[in-house]
Amino acid sequence: MAHDWQPDLERILDEHQSMVFSLALRMTGDRGLAEEIAQDVFLELDEHIGRMKSPEHARFWLRQVTMSRSTDALRRRKVRGMDLWVELEDGHAIRAEDRVSPVGIRLEHLLTTLPEAQRAALILRYQEDMLPDEIAAALDAPVATVKSHLQRGLKLLRAKATSNLREFIRGA
Amino acid sequence: MEHEELDDFERELKLALERRPAPPSLKRRVMERRAQGRRPHSVVWMRLAATLLIVALLGGVLRWGYQQREERRQGEEARRQVMTALRITGHALNQVSTRLAAHGRAGE
Repeated sequence: MAHDWQPDLERILDEHQSMVFSLALRMTGDRGLAEEIAQDVFLELDEHIGRMKSPEHARFWLRQVTMSRSTDALRRRKVRGMDLWVELEDGHAIRAEDRVSPVGIRLEHLLTTLPEAQRAALILRYQEDMLPDEIAAALDAPVATVKSHLQRGLKLLRAKATSNLREFIRGA
Repeated sequence: MEHEELDDFERELKLALERRPAPPSLKRRVMERRAQGRRPHSVVWMRLAATLLIVALLGGVLRWGYQQREERRQGEEARRQVMTALRITGHALNQVSTRLAAHGRAGE
């Protein structure tokens, strides 16, 4: 199947724009910045499209580059001293048509308060349903480190949720 | 971890982190930017020509400025040399004049 596959930007865009945008949005918390990152990532993919060997390769590449570009954007903003999470805190990053539950909005906000590495691991684990070794490959980090980020991140998030979302969360 | 069942909290987190739809404009903007990036080579050449023209103009202005400074310096040097020559000549004439006067007085 991989041999028959002809990479095509439009088709890849249709298939993966939601994934790329959501990853960038949850990493940066800024819709505008997330859209910019997503555009840049797809244009970068277009430059390297000849090297994409299979749909899986393209998807892996998109995840890896989106996380990397989002981290770069966060660092650039930190250098400029900008508040990264203004939009999510104000709820502006979530639009009415996104149809997110109140718990979901609160959980998403709490996620933004986690350290960057833990946040990245949790987003890939729970948004993309990736396994620790896949996350490790995407983030170019050792599997043990990723597992540690996942455990610590989940523990921290659970603790924050227990005190913030007592009325919503059952069995936390 | 990968074989563990998700608990309620993880299920809630998974629901909260469902993918969001990308803005409808995303695909259009990517395709537009892609088309712009692949504009005919003439645009690239025009930009290159404009850059070269600006560089040439700057070079011309700098060269003109240098030439002006050099001409002024050479003019100053020539004026200084003329003044030195005039001073030497004046001095020599003064000496001749003094000697002639001395001769005149001795002849009387």
